Amino acid sequence: MTTNLIDLQHSDVIMATSNMAENHPVGFQWVMKAKERGAKFIHVDPRFTRTSAAADIHVPIRSGTNIAFFGGLINYAIQHNLYFRDYVVHYTNASFLIDPEFKTATDGNGLFTGFDAAKGAYDRTSWKYQLDGEGNPKRDLTLRDPHSVFQLMRRHYSRYTLQMVERVCGIPQAKFEEVAKLYCSNSGREKTGTITYALNLTQHTNGVENIRALCMLQLLLGNIGRPGGGVTALRGHANVQGATDLELLYHELPGYMAQPLRDAHPDLTAYMEKETPKGGFWVNKPKFFVSLLKAFYGDAATKDNEYGYQWLPKRAKADAYSHQHIFVDMYNGAIKGFLALGQNPAVGGPNAKLARSAMQRLDWLVVKDIFLTETAEIWKAPGVDPKTVKTEVFFMPAAPAAEKDGSLTNTMRLIQWHERAVTPPGDVTSDAEFVCTLARRLQALYAGSKKERDRGFLAASFKYGDNPKEPEMVEVLKEINGYATEDITDKDGKVVYKKGQPLNTFAHMTDDGKTAGGCWIYTGVTVEGPDGKLVNKANARKPADDKDYLGHGWGFAWPANRRILYNRAAADLAGKPWSEKKKLIWWDAEAPGNEPSKKGKWVGLDVPDFNPFLAPDAKNGDKPFIMRTDLVGGFFGPLNDGPFPEHYEPIESPVRNLLSKQQNNPVAKIWKVPDQQNELAPTGSAEYPYVITTYRLTEHHLSGVMSRYLPMLAELHHSHFTEISHELADELALKNGDMVTVATPRGKIHVRAMVTNRLKPFVIDGKKVHQIGVPWHWGYNGIAELPGSRGDITNDLSATVGDPNVYIQETKAFMCNVKKGVV
Amino acid sequence: MLKTPDWELMIVWYFFLGGIAGGAYFTAAIADNFGTVRDRAVARTGYLLSLPLVGMCGMLLIADLGVPRRFLNMLAAFKFWDPMSIGAWMVGVFGLFTFVSSVLSFTSSEKMAALRRKIGLVGLLFGFFLASYTGVLISNSAMPFWSDARLMGALFLASGASTGMAAVSLLMFVTGATAGEGWGKVKKADRFSMIFELLVLAAFLFMLGSAAKPITTGHFAPLFWGGLVAMGLVIPLVLDLVGHRVRALAPIAAVLVLVGGFILRYVVLMSIQA
Amino acid sequence: MARTLAMFTDTSLCIGCRACQVACKQWNELGLEVPDWTGTYQNHTHFTDKTFRLVRFIEEPKPTGDLAWLLMSDVCKHCAEAGCLDACPTGAIYRTEYGTVNINQDVCNGCRYCVSSCPFGVVSFNETTGTAKKCTFCNDRIHNGLGPACAKACPTDSIQFGFRDDLVTKAQKRVETLKAMGFKDAQLYGADSKGFLGGLNAFFLLLSKPSTYSLPEQPKLPQRNVVVDSLLSVGSAIVIGLGALLAFRDREQGDGNA
Ligand SMILES: Nc1nc2c(c(=O)[nH]1)N[C@H]1C(S)=C(S)[C@@H](COP(=O)(O)OP(=O)(O)OC[C@H]3O[C@@H](n4cnc5c(=O)[nH]c(N)nc54)[C@H](O)[C@@H]3O)O[C@H]1N2
Ligand SMILES: Nc1nc2c(c(=O)[nH]1)N[C@H]1C(S)=C(S)[C@@H](COP(=O)(O)OP(=O)(O)OC[C@H]3O[C@@H](n4cnc5c(=O)[nH]c(N)nc54)[C@H](O)[C@@H]3O)O[C@H]1N2
Ligand code: SF4
Ligand code: SF4
Ligand code: SF4
Ligand code: SF4
Ligand code: SF4
Ligand SMILES: [Mo]
Repeated sequence: MTTNLIDLQHSDVIMATSNMAENHPVGFQWVMKAKERGAKFIHVDPRFTRTSAAADIHVPIRSGTNIAFFGGLINYAIQHNLYFRDYVVHYTNASFLIDPEFKTATDGNGLFTGFDAAKGAYDRTSWKYQLDGEGNPKRDLTLRDPHSVFQLMRRHYSRYTLQMVERVCGIPQAKFEEVAKLYCSNSGREKTGTITYALNLTQHTNGVENIRALCMLQLLLGNIGRPGGGVTALRGHANVQGATDLELLYHELPGYMAQPLRDAHPDLTAYMEKETPKGGFWVNKPKFFVSLLKAFYGDAATKDNEYGYQWLPKRAKADAYSHQHIFVDMYNGAIKGFLALGQNPAVGGPNAKLARSAMQRLDWLVVKDIFLTETAEIWKAPGVDPKTVKTEVFFMPAAPAAEKDGSLTNTMRLIQWHERAVTPPGDVTSDAEFVCTLARRLQALYAGSKKERDRGFLAASFKYGDNPKEPEMVEVLKEINGYATEDITDKDGKVVYKKGQPLNTFAHMTDDGKTAGGCWIYTGVTVEGPDGKLVNKANARKPADDKDYLGHGWGFAWPANRRILYNRAAADLAGKPWSEKKKLIWWDAEAPGNEPSKKGKWVGLDVPDFNPFLAPDAKNGDKPFIMRTDLVGGFFGPLNDGPFPEHYEPIESPVRNLLSKQQNNPVAKIWKVPDQQNELAPTGSAEYPYVITTYRLTEHHLSGVMSRYLPMLAELHHSHFTEISHELADELALKNGDMVTVATPRGKIHVRAMVTNRLKPFVIDGKKVHQIGVPWHWGYNGIAELPGSRGDITNDLSATVGDPNVYIQETKAFMCNVKKGVV
Repeated sequence: MLKTPDWELMIVWYFFLGGIAGGAYFTAAIADNFGTVRDRAVARTGYLLSLPLVGMCGMLLIADLGVPRRFLNMLAAFKFWDPMSIGAWMVGVFGLFTFVSSVLSFTSSEKMAALRRKIGLVGLLFGFFLASYTGVLISNSAMPFWSDARLMGALFLASGASTGMAAVSLLMFVTGATAGEGWGKVKKADRFSMIFELLVLAAFLFMLGSAAKPITTGHFAPLFWGGLVAMGLVIPLVLDLVGHRVRALAPIAAVLVLVGGFILRYVVLMSIQA
Repeated sequence: MARTLAMFTDTSLCIGCRACQVACKQWNELGLEVPDWTGTYQNHTHFTDKTFRLVRFIEEPKPTGDLAWLLMSDVCKHCAEAGCLDACPTGAIYRTEYGTVNINQDVCNGCRYCVSSCPFGVVSFNETTGTAKKCTFCNDRIHNGLGPACAKACPTDSIQFGFRDDLVTKAQKRVETLKAMGFKDAQLYGADSKGFLGGLNAFFLLLSKPSTYSLPEQPKLPQRNVVVDSLLSVGSAIVIGLGALLAFRDREQGDGNA
């Protein structure tokens, strides 16, 4: 998320495309505050939800047609000249010229230049800037050149007309126009708007492109880096942001650096060469990477052994290890053992039947959880004879947040500390304790090993603080923050950091092994106080007030306690705020500079996302997007599926793609799984005629373990259900409360029908299309006294298909059938 | 979206028996004070009948409490505008009267009998109260129909009188105390009460209008019209008027009146709580 | 008496998250209940002895064809003229120095008169304790300087806690704002201390007429007819008494002596 939830109150218009009131109710208070101040609020969702209830306009959209929607808005903003021209010309790559070979999908009937049908992938040679003699991208500041990004974008979205949006998304033209006008006219110097998203955009076979489309619209309207603007990405689990930053992911290492590939990155030099861009802030990557290796391997990491680079596990393939890959591999027998630490894939993952079958084939399964989850009782799943399950299951009781110290990083990059309120009972342990103990025991088992590959693991220290049994979590945070591995002196020989002292900023990281740091972006979260004691800024508790509306005294937001990213864009080229109303940071020419002889500094309400002494007229002093090589916001931004988002139908869809011949994302990932474990419904299938979407309810949490097992929450909903429109209920002769069977080619579930006005059929290209909604919180365990706390598993319906960039599942839009009764 | 107190059969019995007790005592006291010596049997039967009935009332009332042993808490407070509060007190006070009157009903001392008559005159006020306060109690709630019925107390009182008299007459019949004119006077008074009750009931329904629907239509209508109006009032009256020379019809009429009185409490209480 | 405290529930800010409902259950340690199938997200159907805060979900199609989903967190109104309090024969229901209405569980004997005397269907009977239960206005919390648990949990400040007079002023302003924003049916319910029941110490801002939220338009104090009903009973007693008197005054033989 580029912004800060508190800042939402300064928006002039907010467009939620996720179900924010239900899934981010606490953050939603700022939407309500903005509304109190007169902001308009739009909600885009196939269903009318509690978010819609708070909205000025609810826009029903057929699931899976988000790019058509955003494309329509981009087209509208361009056609009606509603974009923020100064911003677009100077702060984005709109003026950059692209290789003349490149053609957009408008000219390629749904495909961009370079599609290789045999490989099912794009050859991206033409997806590049035209360079001048010095190697800099050529630009046309008038935006008129037909090869300029702007003109290509205009041409690409020229097909996304009001009529087209109506035919594809099912949004009546008048309503779409109302929204387009409202949203796009709230931009420019005086106004800003923001858009929220979450799974509504991600869980699609073009999930990443959906988000790009949103970002492009925000760039076009000049909404990024400015108060009340930004991309409001709403994340999931309380600490999913932290998990992403620390990279509990297969393809990256902490701090967003690629996990090395076996073939492409044979040694540290090759890795650095390939992975370090030539421009932008990432030129510092070697410092962050070496510091990371030092944090991993300590003294064992030296210049001579490439700081232990060879000990890092390498990926054999770029894409082989996502959540979905793992369960297919497990089913196929390639994975024999599985540690499920705080995860419930028996219920939560896509194609859960496949996931359960896969786990039932394991040799061993370790579940560490605060409850006996469905995964922990995989051998007791309905319809399974426990005798036939050979998997040996170990259950390790885990301490939840209240029973341990630690930090969580929330959706706005805010690292917040929590303290243990009670000691875990009995043999319950924290996850950190479990991991450290496991590691130390393994180290003991491998103690004598002379193998090179074991050296790094044996060298790694899992000791944090004095008690070897219980890691001290502040020490973990300090390691993540980074510290000096030896005394560091300045050029006059004065000690700037003593050995072991935490670093104040990642700018002090070096690539010579003198600093260690577990996740560079977190640096600054712990510092040494004047008394020499560690100050944990994640534990700072000064609430926001009028003088500090962004709450800099509360917790610590990475990077550098900056609350709004790319905030250089809040000022114009000359460094003045675009308007008084929307000021955030600005260039104060009179402020003392970084040297006594110099004057001028960026000042304001936030920490500048920028070298604070870089004058607006200096080289690159007018380029806000410092994380990008070209330092500007990217309309043209190559992903695996193309440089501009293009609408394709979900893999399972009720209709043909009206925008091009290309039905689905040509590079989407569809897994072939044996034993009919991943069958798909063909387009327009009469057997599976209804669109289905799956989602959350405020009252429940994810796979339901943390809500279905708790009486006060579990009782808030009677039982598992599906939401169905009155129109579909009439067609199926259903009454509110009837049991129905929802089926897809993968499986079926029995749930109660909640017949409601909150869903309405769509008219898609003149034809009526029904959509139903099914929450996915239920599973076979629950509370004995509350029969409704147990229910069929919604994910038995979903498929193993994924986005080509990150392999996220498509659980927001697929096809099903609904039959009355339990059949 | 109102909430019903879920007072069920125990409270129906309480209302019913309280009515009889009050009616019987009052009949006894009137007979005692204004009748002749030959009406003594009426007085004694009434007093002696009311004593155990009030006792049962008290027990029912206590048994129906969520925490019966906290009945005394009712006596720790006295709210003169609150039917429930005074009701609880009055059951006790009236109980004392019935006890004293019952004991004194065996006296042969004329001095004591005079005392009894005076006590009876005061006690009958409490008897009236017991018969009617239950109606006022429910008509001063938030429940529809109950709270719309201004004549609920009056109706319960009339019904208490008619059932009390019917009970006395029945008891006299059973115990063979029908000799003398007392029995006839009781029946006469009862006849009057029933006619009055019918009138009050008519006014009650008229004043309620559609608010009376819970008893006049639907599930409870047959019980109300058939059980109370026809069987409990009209038929006994007809039996009484037409067949009052046939001795055996009298107890039948009395039983019907009693059943009718029970039905009245039952339909009123259960119709909106069911 | 201390300054009157109040809760102001502004339904225009409610997002139906039910944090209030759960916070209340948790703080007051109210136990598990098997829910009803209500056909909507609402559970339970009514206030119960274990549900003191109840969030109502009301789907109401607007004349424009759009849908309104009215969300309202309902609670005991802590009426200035409280039917439950007047009804209680034991004095278990009392008014605190803050103006709130509370049930003393040690005194209540479970007669249930309060249940039928609340014009809002708030008080409920608990079979296990044998006593009547309802929102306590978090009596333990307000006496220790904390606001009610429900208000504390509410993420959008839909439930606000404070001194009644302050809240009423605030609420009146909010209605004006909402009206200006086009919510023409926005209105306060129970804010007026000269209005019904002497005003409610838990009052509401509604976006539609009270009956839409199952609230009585003009709730009345149940005890208002005690005098009339009693006089009518007395009248009836006199008539009956006279009848009996005449029957027994009759010196002639009765007619039953055949
Ligand atoms: N109470 C509660 N809060 C939660 C969670 C929880 O389980 N319970 N989970 C947390 C987690 S892990 C996450 S990831 C987030 C997820 O937060 P959200 O993404 O808001 O969650 P969902 O309910 O899965 O989906 C949001 C909405 O997307 C709509 N939708 C479906 N298809 C489309 C589409 O194509 N376009 C648009 N615009 N909308 C569509 C659905 O109708 C649904 O209302 O929530 C977090 N917050
Ligand atoms: N159809 C469909 N499927 C979906 C989604 C969807 O929208 N539709 N959403 C997807 C999304 S976004 C997500 S995030 C996943 C979530 O899927 P999961 O992560 O598998 O589901 P959770 O129920 O959150 O499982 C977390 C577990 O961690 C346990 N836990 C809590 N605290 C601790 C702790 O401190 N230590 C340990 N060891 N355990 C703890 C909880 O008890 C719980 O069992 O589901 C995905 N699945
Ligand atoms: S459950 Fe926690 S993380 Fe989720 S909205 Fe509530 S407070 Fe925030
Ligand atoms: S709302 Fe009902 S329970 Fe609450 S104070 Fe008023 S009468 Fe009593
Ligand atoms: S049930 Fe308890 S609180 Fe209610 S009126 Fe009776 S004694 Fe009072
Ligand atoms: S004030 Fe306290 S008792 Fe009353 S509803 Fe709120 S949390 Fe529950
Ligand atoms: S906590 Fe607040 S927003 Fe949520 S349901 Fe209750 S009153 Fe409404
Ligand atoms: Mo998530």
